[in-house]
Amino acid sequence: MRTAYTISAIGHAAVLLWSVWSLAANPLPVSSTEGLPVDLVTVSEFSNIAAGSKDAPKTETAKPLVEKVAEAKPVEDPTAKVVEKKEVKAAREPPPAPDSKPTESESAKKQAETPPDPIADALAKEEVKKPEPKKADAKPPTPPKKPAPPAPKFDPKQVAALLDKREATRLAAAGETLNNAPSLGLSNGAAAQLSLTELEALRALLAQLWTVPAGAKDPQELVVLIRVKLNRDGRLAAPPIVLTSGASPLFMAARDSAIRALFRGQPYDMLKPEHYEQWKDVEITFDPRDMIRG
Amino acid sequence: MPSGAPLSIWDLFQNADLVVKLVMVGLLVASIMVWAIAIEKLILYSRTRRAMDGFEQAFWSGQSLEELYRALASRPTHSMAALFVAAMREWKRSLEGQPRSFAGLQMRIEKVMEVTIQREIARLERHLLVLATIGSAGPFVGLFGTVWGIMTSFRAIAGQQSTSLAVVAPGIAEALFATAVGLIAAIPATIFYNKFVSDVNKQAQRLQGFADEFAAILSRQIDERG
Repeated sequence: MRTAYTISAIGHAAVLLWSVWSLAANPLPVSSTEGLPVDLVTVSEFSNIAAGSKDAPKTETAKPLVEKVAEAKPVEDPTAKVVEKKEVKAAREPPPAPDSKPTESESAKKQAETPPDPIADALAKEEVKKPEPKKADAKPPTPPKKPAPPAPKFDPKQVAALLDKREATRLAAAGETLNNAPSLGLSNGAAAQLSLTELEALRALLAQLWTVPAGAKDPQELVVLIRVKLNRDGRLAAPPIVLTSGASPLFMAARDSAIRALFRGQPYDMLKPEHYEQWKDVEITFDPRDMIRG
Repeated sequence: MPSGAPLSIWDLFQNADLVVKLVMVGLLVASIMVWAIAIEKLILYSRTRRAMDGFEQAFWSGQSLEELYRALASRPTHSMAALFVAAMREWKRSLEGQPRSFAGLQMRIEKVMEVTIQREIARLERHLLVLATIGSAGPFVGLFGTVWGIMTSFRAIAGQQSTSLAVVAPGIAEALFATAVGLIAAIPATIFYNKFVSDVNKQAQRLQGFADEFAAILSRQIDERG
């Protein structure tokens, strides 16, 4: 019996030793796969326009003009004076660039050549005076004394510009972070980056030309879908085809306005000929909800 | 243990819970016992079979039973020889005793041979119950170790607040190793037990057959002398 136990114990020890040395579990073979880089591309990278100033230099990351930290509210004209009160839109046109400003002698020459235009003359004087606004305020406005015999042309806008002595004011531009140096963009842009596809540029142009009939209760009924075929030079190749239909007179007005806008907008220079395949046959949606902001 | 290193059997044992370790050690001892008993029984049964073959050859060779008895009675014998020696001793005592008692001799010889058969079978069957116990209880013991080990590793998961497979795997591997050891001990035990039980039955039948034949021979002798 003892020999049997000895043999058994020796056998077990041998098997255990062998298993410890040779039965070590190998780790599972894991084949290393190469990582696949994935980039997320959003629509806003291509089809939205950044908020900013039109004449600012282009930067990598757009920064809207922000003078006050509040709920985001861009300003239409950053050159106007900032006030706390109600916004005023002066009738006066913003002063032209200094180099294009006519000097006194030039205006005198012009007066000699052209029939005298007292309103334009006064307007020119106002503009010359513009760099010193305090003096201008102190002086009472000089009304046109002598009536011009050959009234050149009645322009109510010019008259209004002459009468309206207010400075154009605006509310402070609000945003999340203060920024006094706006980057390139439009005042009503909403995207964080400056990028605009050609088709979006076409849309923006058409939105400016399209007149939305006022007084529509339901803006949905004014949606016009038009199929446009274009030539390589950016002109219409065929009359636009209206794809939506409606019976209301407002819809018909919107539809006719959209067709007129399509005709007036040509040639569409923003469409590059090298991308002709993309825009030779496009469908454009005239939606007042999308286009009202232009 | 560095994570990611392959688990050797020694690692499995070393990292296990104390209860699981005890279970593994116990099962290892049981496995050693199983194989020791198996080796012993294999040797014993083959030796017994050879001894029976040799005795039967000598018994049926026409040799005088007196001579055979004298040759065998001097040293301790087993199985068939022990049966023959027990029956002959009873026969000789009854013949040499004064007065001769033939009445009931037949019954006494049968009784003596039956007792000897029981003793021999008991000798052959010794330790077989250990095999049966290990064969039936070994898997349960191993399973107990596994359950305990998995319980421990789940407690470790709860403590680590992490359920990654790398946390769970070593504990479960250790726990399953207990069941493996239990099966390693139990499977040979069951196989050997079944084989040995059938061997014992065969040898018991052989002894019974010889006892019947020898009783018939002695009965004829009694009738002739009586």
